[in-house]
Formats: sequence, C-alpha cells, structure tokens
Amino acid sequence: MGHRRRGHTHAPKTPTCLNAHSSNTVQHADHEQSVKHSICMVSDFFYPNMGGVESHIYQLSQCLIEKGHKVVIATHAYGDRRGIRYLTNGLKVYYLPLQVMYNQSTSTTCFHSLPLLRCIFVRECITIVHAHSSFSAMAHDALFHAKTMGLNTVFTDHSLFGFADLSSVLTNKLLTVSLCDTNHIVCVSYTSKENTVLRATLDPEIVSVIPNAVDPTDFTPDPCRRDNSKITIVVISRLVYRKGIDLLSGIIPELCGRHPDLCFLIGGEGPKRIILEEVREKYQLHDRVRLLGALDHKDVRDVLVQGHIFLNTSLTEAFCMAIVEGASCGLQVVSTRVGGIPEVLPNELVTLCGPSVCSLCDGLETVIKKIRSGNVESPAAIHRKVRTLYTWRNVAERTEKVYNRVCREPVLPLSARLHRLRSHCGAVAGSIFSFVAVINFLFLLFLQWLRPDSLIDVAVDASGPHSRLKQQVSHKTSKTANPNDLT
Amino acid sequence: MADEEFTDINGNWISLDCQTHSSFCREFTVTSPKLSLRKVMVYTCCVWLFAYAVFFFTQNTAVLSSAIILTLVGMVIHIHFVKVDHETLLIIGSLGVQLSSSYASGRESTTFIEMSKLKDIVINEAVYMHNIIYYLCILIKDPADPETVTSVVPLFQSSKPRLNCLIQVYKSCQEILAQSR
Repeated sequence: MGHRRRGHTHAPKTPTCLNAHSSNTVQHADHEQSVKHSICMVSDFFYPNMGGVESHIYQLSQCLIEKGHKVVIATHAYGDRRGIRYLTNGLKVYYLPLQVMYNQSTSTTCFHSLPLLRCIFVRECITIVHAHSSFSAMAHDALFHAKTMGLNTVFTDHSLFGFADLSSVLTNKLLTVSLCDTNHIVCVSYTSKENTVLRATLDPEIVSVIPNAVDPTDFTPDPCRRDNSKITIVVISRLVYRKGIDLLSGIIPELCGRHPDLCFLIGGEGPKRIILEEVREKYQLHDRVRLLGALDHKDVRDVLVQGHIFLNTSLTEAFCMAIVEGASCGLQVVSTRVGGIPEVLPNELVTLCGPSVCSLCDGLETVIKKIRSGNVESPAAIHRKVRTLYTWRNVAERTEKVYNRVCREPVLPLSARLHRLRSHCGAVAGSIFSFVAVINFLFLLFLQWLRPDSLIDVAVDASGPHSRLKQQVSHKTSKTANPNDLT
Repeated sequence: MADEEFTDINGNWISLDCQTHSSFCREFTVTSPKLSLRKVMVYTCCVWLFAYAVFFFTQNTAVLSSAIILTLVGMVIHIHFVKVDHETLLIIGSLGVQLSSSYASGRESTTFIEMSKLKDIVINEAVYMHNIIYYLCILIKDPADPETVTSVVPLFQSSKPRLNCLIQVYKSCQEILAQSR
C-alpha cells in the first residue's frame, strides 16, 4: 500500500489578511491553548437538511466558538435559504448559489466554486479549512482550492464505503486524490479509520479517531410517557436499504406472532416505506405497527421516550448516532454488529446481533425477557451512563488538538503537490489531477489579478477572539442602536 | 463637508459627499466615475470590426447598417438606463428617506420612503456574482405589524461602495434615526 510520504517542504505565501488574528503560527506547544483559529467548515450537508453530518458540523462549530475560535460554514443554497445567515452565537453560514446535482450534493467542475470560496477564505481570514463527508463534492472542491491558496486542511469522513463496485472504485480514487496532500484526516470510529486508510491509501499516522456525540439535554428519559401494558420497539431511521429496512420487514411479523403485547413505532421516510406498509397490510398489524413518517429533529426525543427497546438494523454504519440517542433516552438498545457500532456503547448498554432476521429476533427475545422479568436498569441510570460517554465539548477539545497540530505543519507548494499527486494517485489519475491542479493555480492567479485580495473587504467577525457580537453584548447598556457598533 | 475619496467593490474611485443641512437632515451623494470615452470607442470598434468580418463573408450591407444602429441604440440605452453618475440619499428625521439616481443622460429617478415604514438602516452582506459584498439597505416594515420586515431596499446599487464608505453613511443615518425615535 503506497502510504503518503511526509517530505520537508516550504509553505507558500498564504493570502495576506488585514486582521492581526490571522497569523496563527505556533512556536511552542505551551502556547497551544492560547492559539485561536479561523476555521471554515465546508460541506454540502447542513441545516435545513437534517442528519448526522449536519448535526456534527453544527454542534462542533458551536463548541469551537465557545472555546474562542472563529467558525464559519460554507454550504450550498437550500431553496430560498441563500446568501449569508447567522445562527446561534454568531455562527455564520454561507449558503452559496451552487447547482445541486444529486442527493443534496453539488455538481463539480473543480473550478466554478473557486471564486466564491476564495472570497470567503480571504474575507474571513481563514487559517484552516475543515471539509466534511466524502459524499460532498463541495467538500472536495474546498480542499482542492484551500491547498491551492496555501491554507491548512482537515477532512472528516463520516461514512464507510465499499471497494468492489464501480461507484466505490471511482469515489475511492477521488478520495485518494483529495486526501493525498490534506494535512489531517478525522474519522468517527476505528472501523471508519481502517476503511478510510485502505480506501485512500493513507498513512495511519495522520488519521485521528474522534467520535460523534449527542447533546444529553436533548435526549432525556421520561418513563411516564411509556405504555407499560405493552412492549414498544422504536425504530427511527431513514427508510432505505442501507439502514436494513428489509431486515425490519422480516422481524416485524416474526415477533408480532410470538408476542401479542408487542408493538412497533417507526419514524422516518424513504423508498423502503412501501415494504413496511405491505408487511403491515399482509399480516393485519395496523394497530401494532405505527409508521410516523418524516420526523423533525425536535420531535425525535418525544417518540423515543414512548418505547422500551430501540432497534437499529443498519447494514453498514461508521458511527451510529441513533443508538446513543436511544440509550440516552433510557431505552434498551438492540443493534446489528456492523461497522463502527461495536465501539459506540459498552456491552451492558447494547445487545449486538448479526445482520440477519434470525439473529436480530434472538437478540430482541433476550431483551424482551429481561424487560418482563424486570431485570433491566432504570432509564435514568442508563441516561447517567451515556451522558458522560459522548459530549460535544470533548469532541471540540480533541478537534482543537488536531487544529493545533495542523497549523504547525507546512502546506505543500505547487511543485511538491504535483509530485505527491503523481506518485500517490497512480500514473493516469495522478497526471489528470496534476493538470487540474495547475489549471486551478492559474485560475487563482487570474482571479487575484482580476480582483486582488486588497479589494475584498475583511468581514466583521461574528465569532472568535475579535467577535463583534461579544463586544456588543458586553457593552450593551440601552436598547437604542449605537452608531459606533460598526467600526 | 468636502468630498471624500473611496473605492467601489471593483477598485474604481468614487467620492462621497456628506452635507449636513440640520441636525435632523443629512444628504449623502456618491459620485461614480464619468462615462469613459476610451471604453465607448473600444466597444464601438469591437462591434464594427465584428460586423465588418460578417460583411466580408456575407457581402450583405445590411449587416454594417444594423451594426451602426445597434451601437447607437445601445449607447442611448446605456446612458439613459444603465450608467448612473451619482446616487443620493437624503434622510430627514421626522419625514423619511429620499433616494435619487442621476443617470448619464440627465434623467433622474427618485423614491421616497416615509418614516412610518422605515424599520431600520443596516449594513448587510450578499452574494453578488462571484463575490460577497457588503451593502447598505433600508428595512421596510408594515405599519400594522412593526416587528416584521416586509421588504429590503438596497442603497447605492449602482456605485456599490466598499465597507469603509458604507460605515460612514451608516453611522450618520443611525444618529438621525436615534434622534427621531
């Protein structure tokens, strides 16, 4: 396996910036705590879209802002939500007018996003570009442009991917090209790390594992909401093949036949919903299988607390947030033993089964027996255990260490980058992307001539050490507008 | 007050003239560079050369005639509807805000927004072409429901001054709005 080599290189001149806080070079490890970074999170997946990646980016950003860093997010426009928006604590989001191609991922030409992303990186005085999700074309574009501009880069991979089929081969080749000169890679589980290292032929030294987390205040147990005259199994997931909905359609009639007091509460939407409706129709289970459809994130907890058991039937998963949320609400968790799931919860909090109907039914039977005999921990006790396992503050702390390490590393100049691409990505792909990198560099020079950095107004910080928002809050004495707020 | 020199988002020089008529009345005039004769000549030559190239292959004199007409019509449209010489913002504390645009042809367009409809004047950010720019705008409220913003009126749309110029106008406007509230 061709691991990437770490040659000693000279960093190119990064874009000059008018703000003093942009020069985040670290001389000694002692000063690490005081270093404040300007971070741009880039992904196609963000609010108002809901999911694991979106939640991760938002929560991590909020905790980094809390720690004094400046964070902005770049994503594509969602319908009418375009332009620049501000979220809680001055988290600034750029909804860029880029064309969506498939499954909320933008189409990519590697060049069309450069003018806008360059503008963001310069005006926000960005020092680290943090891209999320290997399925996001915008994330790969941002990494490519950031390296052309001489910025440090971090990439977080949130998913597992195969090796055999054509789409996997192509995606893995793109990932190899994207990550071969990225400063650091973050994965959400050790299984995910192994998968990413193999897919992108990376040096494991530059890949860290930082798990996801849940906000424990969002997922608190409420045993009063349960109907104890029956046992309720809750399933909340997108109803797609990858989430094992075919397995679920086999489990439902099997268990409902064995236990007349068992019912299923299923939240989520997707193409596999029709299979569940067919099962419900065929076995006349309308009173015992409730399909709730798509749920807002705020409603998830209200559904979870109605259940006794949380069932996850995923066929592949890098890090399953859903089972942590289920356990946080005090439910007994039954899940398939796939991907990074075995790493997520301790054995006493989860029952792991093989990805088959038979194995999952056995696991559920075991848990049902425990519930009937009263041999289970109270929801409050389970919540107390989970609450300390995964916190966003801990995730932010570990990510901050990655940033501190990254900002000490040199960014490869164009010549070294071209050599890395050719040596690491194979003769054909390496040559193609070397050519693309040269064109990208020339395009950047053209943009710098057309609209020099000096013509781009440096943005007023809404987060970070120079946050205008913090100053306004601390100096606010009256409700009247202060004309000197903007200086 | 004397004219102050600033640049627009493209780096062209513009001037800001602030006139204080009273403590409740101020006028801001942003003047853009005059129509460049060199630019006009370049565009005209390009169109005519292209027309001549087409004529060379088609041998149709109508091409040359239409090129001349097109150039003249284009120039008239440009100076009458596109090229703004200066934009004026007149803010009167008790009355409202008047926005004026003076075109290269001498044509003027004026808009008045009464104070009861004006919620605030703010500096906002927008994605403009392949850039992200700051712009000054007036937030319009519904007198029946003062909390909601019904529409946004951008100021200095043609000259597009940079942030340092906008801040100066913003501060002055806020002083007057603070007095009138």
